[in-house]
Amino acid sequence: MNRYIGASVERYDIATKVAGSRKYPQDFNMEGQLYAKVVWSEYAHARILAIDTKAAEQVPGVVAVFTHKDVPVNEYGIYLMDQRVLAQDKVYSVGDPVALVVAENEKVAARAAGLVKVSYEPLPVVTDVRLAMRPDAPLVHEERGTNILHHIPIRAGNIEEGFARADVIVKGSYYTPRVEHAFMQPEAGLGYIDEQGRVTVICAAQWPHDDVRQIAHALALPEEQVHEIVPAIGGAFGGREDISLQILVALAAYKLRRPVKLVYTRAESMRGHGKRHPFYMRYRTGATRDGYLTAVEVECITDAGSAASTSIPVLQNAASFLAGPYYVPHARIDAYTVYTNNILTMAMRGFGATQPPFGYELQMDKLAEALGMDPVEIRMRNLLEDGMRAVTGNIMRHGTGIKKTLEEAALAAGWRRTSAGWQKPDLGAPSAPHKRRGIGIACGYKNVGYSFGFDDKSEAHVELRLDPQGQIARVLIRIGASEVGQGVLTTLTQIAAETLDVPIEKIRLALLDTAVVPNAGSSSASRQTYMSGNAVMRACQKALEAYYEALRAEEGQDVITASYVYRAREMTPTTPYDPVTGQCEPHISYSYSTQAAIVEVDTETGEVEILRMVSSTDLGRVIHPANVFGQVAGGIHMGVGFALTEEFIQQEGQIITQSFTGYQIPTVLDMPRELIHRNVEVADPTGPFGATGLGETPTLPTAPAIIHAIHDAVGVWIDSLPATPEKVYRAMREMGKKNARRRQGG
Amino acid sequence: METLRFILNGHPVQVEDLDPSTPLARLLRDQLGLIGTKIGCGEGECGACTVIVDGKAVVSCLYPAWKVQGARVETIEGLKQGDQLHVLQQAFIEANASQCGYCSPGFIMSAKALLDAHPRPSREQIIQAIAGNLCRCTGYYQIVDAIELAARRLAGEENGTRPAEEGQGRIVP
Ligand code: FES
Ligand code: FES
Repeated sequence: MNRYIGASVERYDIATKVAGSRKYPQDFNMEGQLYAKVVWSEYAHARILAIDTKAAEQVPGVVAVFTHKDVPVNEYGIYLMDQRVLAQDKVYSVGDPVALVVAENEKVAARAAGLVKVSYEPLPVVTDVRLAMRPDAPLVHEERGTNILHHIPIRAGNIEEGFARADVIVKGSYYTPRVEHAFMQPEAGLGYIDEQGRVTVICAAQWPHDDVRQIAHALALPEEQVHEIVPAIGGAFGGREDISLQILVALAAYKLRRPVKLVYTRAESMRGHGKRHPFYMRYRTGATRDGYLTAVEVECITDAGSAASTSIPVLQNAASFLAGPYYVPHARIDAYTVYTNNILTMAMRGFGATQPPFGYELQMDKLAEALGMDPVEIRMRNLLEDGMRAVTGNIMRHGTGIKKTLEEAALAAGWRRTSAGWQKPDLGAPSAPHKRRGIGIACGYKNVGYSFGFDDKSEAHVELRLDPQGQIARVLIRIGASEVGQGVLTTLTQIAAETLDVPIEKIRLALLDTAVVPNAGSSSASRQTYMSGNAVMRACQKALEAYYEALRAEEGQDVITASYVYRAREMTPTTPYDPVTGQCEPHISYSYSTQAAIVEVDTETGEVEILRMVSSTDLGRVIHPANVFGQVAGGIHMGVGFALTEEFIQQEGQIITQSFTGYQIPTVLDMPRELIHRNVEVADPTGPFGATGLGETPTLPTAPAIIHAIHDAVGVWIDSLPATPEKVYRAMREMGKKNARRRQGG
Repeated sequence: METLRFILNGHPVQVEDLDPSTPLARLLRDQLGLIGTKIGCGEGECGACTVIVDGKAVVSCLYPAWKVQGARVETIEGLKQGDQLHVLQQAFIEANASQCGYCSPGFIMSAKALLDAHPRPSREQIIQAIAGNLCRCTGYYQIVDAIELAARRLAGEENGTRPAEEGQGRIVP
C-alpha cells in the first residue's frame, strides 16, 4: 500500500493537453451553429430609457437580438439574485450585458452589436467605498435603502483593557487593489438543445451544478431540463465560480432551437467577470514589551462592486482572519462590504483570506521594529497552536501547523535560532552599489471547505467492473469536481487507486456532465482534495466491502457500485457568526503557509527584483509532490503580481486596464530567481490520508513578505499595493526629504 | 485572393477564397480544424497561439494568414510522430509543466523554435525564448525545467533530475 499517496504520478489529463488535442469550450463547434455577441453597458450607472434593436435586426445574417424582454425570469446570482441576465431598468456597472445579438457568423454579430442603440440617462456614479457608506450617497440598488451590503462585528475580550495593557501600539492603514483572475482561456460557451430536448451548455465552470440551478431559474425551467457539460477548463482561480455567459447561450439556444456559440475577447473577459475585492483596512495593534499581542482593532471595508456575488461569504471569511493566525486576547473587528458602481467583485484564490495578511503581517513587522525584535521571534511568541482560542471564540484543533511552517521557512531562508532568540541572516553584498538587499517574512492561513454552518458536501459514485475471474478490471468514478488545472482528477484517481489497491491506470473519471455525475460542490475554497477526496475514499471503501461480500457469496457479479456523500458537518460542525459578538465555530479545517522573500531594490528606479522566495505550507499530507510544487509556484506567481504589478484600474467606473499590456501579470522574467519550498505535514485526522487543502494559502504570504523585504532593504513601508517602481521610488524620496528636514531641524 | 498554398506540419495544404483579414490562428482553428493552437488574447500579448513559420516562432493571432504563402508552418499537432509524443511534450509531462494546459501548446512551440535553432540552449536563452508566453497556473519553474530536460535528452545526455519534486525551482542557475 501507499504506492500512490505521495507519488508524482503522471497527471490524469496532461498527455492530451501537451498534445494539443484536449478540447476547451472554444474548441467545440456544431453543425449549423450561430454566433452571439454581447452589447455591454456603456455607463457605470445609468437608467435605461430605451433599447432600439431595429437597425441591428436588419443586418443580413442577424437571426435575433435579445433584450431583457426575452428573459423569462430576469435575475440570477450565486448568493443573492441581484443580477440581471440582460439589463432592464438600469445598468449598475460597465460589466452589465444589455443585449445579445445572434447571427449566422461572428463578423455579422459583431457589426450588428454596434448598431443596437441604447438610450441612457446617466446617474451619479459611486465608486469610493467610504463615500458609498454615507447616508446621502447615491444608491446602487435603491430598493435596499443603503449601499452597505453586510456588516460583521467581532468582539473578543475587552478592547480597552487590551490597549491599556499594551506597552506599544502600532497603527496602520492598508489598501489592496482590484485584481483580475487573468486565466488564460477567455470565457466561451456553446448552448444547444440536446436529443432529449434539454437545454445544454458546454462551458468552463467551477461549480457546474450551481450554474444549472441559476440557468434553470432564469429560463423558468425545471432543473432536469437543463444540464451543463464541462470540458477542459483553462484556469479559473475563483473567476468561474459565478455565472458568466452560461445563461446567455442557454437563452439563445432555448429561444432559437439552434446551437449558439459565444466566445469572449480578452477585453470582454476582463469586463465580463468579477474581480478580487479591494480591501481598505485600518489597524491598531497593541503588544507588551516582550512582544505578546494584547489587542487588535480592525476596520475593514471591501468593495463589492455592482452586485452581491459572493461578497458576503468573502467578507465572512475575511473577518475571521483579520486578526491574523495569532493569539489575540482582546479584539474588536468591524468588517463591511459595500455596493458601488465598480465591476462586481467575487471569489478569487483565497476568498477573503488573501488581503488580510497584508494588514496583519505588516502590523507584526511594524510592531517588531518598534520593539527592536526579530520578525520571526515576535511571530513565534504569538502564533496559534492546537488548543488555543481564536478571536471568534473557537478552539484551534486538528493540527494547527502554522508555527511549523514558520520554523521551516525561517530556517531555509537562513534565520538562526540562538539563545537570544531568532536572528536574521546576513544577505551578502548587493549586485551593484545603487542596489540594496532586504529580507521579509510573512505567514498566512485559510479555511479549507465552506464555512459558517454551510452544509458542505460532496458526492461520489464508484463502479467496479470485474473480469470473469472476479478481479477488478476497471474502475469508473462519477463526481462533479471541476478540473481547473489544480490537478483534482489526478488526486482523486490516486486516492481511489490507493484505497482500492489497484493500478492507477484502471481508474477513469466520467466526463463532467451535470446530468450524469453527482454534485461535488465547487472547485474552490481549497476544498476538493479534502471534500471530494473524502467522498471518493469512502465510496471506494464501501465498494470494496461490497466486493468482498460478493466474492464470499460467489454471486458472480460483474459490476459493483457504491456511493458516498461526504458531509463535512458530521465530522466538524461549523456555526454562523453571532450577530453581536461574532463568536462562532467558523471553519472545517485550515491550511497554513509561511514565506520569506529576499529582494534587491534599485534605489535609482525603485525597481524590485526577487532573488529568492522560500516557502513552507502545511497541507496535512502531500498527495502529489510535483502538483504541490506547481500549486505553490502558481500561488506565488499570483502573489508576486499582487505585490508588484497587478491593479485592475477603473476611473469613474470605466475600465482603464483592458488587456495584458495594461494589466500586467508576471512573466518568467518577473518570478523569483529561485524558489525553495518545504512541505509540512501535520495530518488532519478528518482529511483523506490526513490531507487538507493547498490551492489558496501559497498566495497569501507572498505580498506581505515582499513588502517587508522592501522595507528591510530601503526603509520605506508601502502600505498600498501594488508596489510599483514609481511608488517605491516616490516613497524613498519622501523618506529622504523627511530625514533631511529632521537633520536640519535637529 | 489567389489560392493560398503552404506546408502545414509537413503536408501541403491549399486554401481558396481566403478573407485577407484572417489571422493565421483563425485559419488554423476555424478552417483547418487544428484547435491545438489556442487564443488567449488575440492581441499578441500572451503567446498561447504560438506556431512556427519557416523556423521562427510567431504569434499566429496577429500573423496574417496570407503571409504563409509558400511557407512551412508547424503547429502543436505536427509534433507527434504517430503515437510517439515529441521529446518536448514528453518532458512537459515528466516535469509536470502543464496545469490547466491552455498555455502549453504555445510554450511548447516557442521552445521547439528555440531547440531547433539552438540545440544546447543556456538557461538564459530558455527564459528569453518563453518571455513572451504567459502562464497563470504554473509559476513557470516546471516549464523551464521541462525545456531543459528536453534539451538534455536531445543532446543524448542523462535524463537529469526533476528539481520541483524536491521543492526547488530555479529560473537562473
Ligand atoms: S492569442 Fe496570440 S498572443 Fe495571445
Ligand atoms: S497551465 Fe494554465 S495557463 Fe499555463
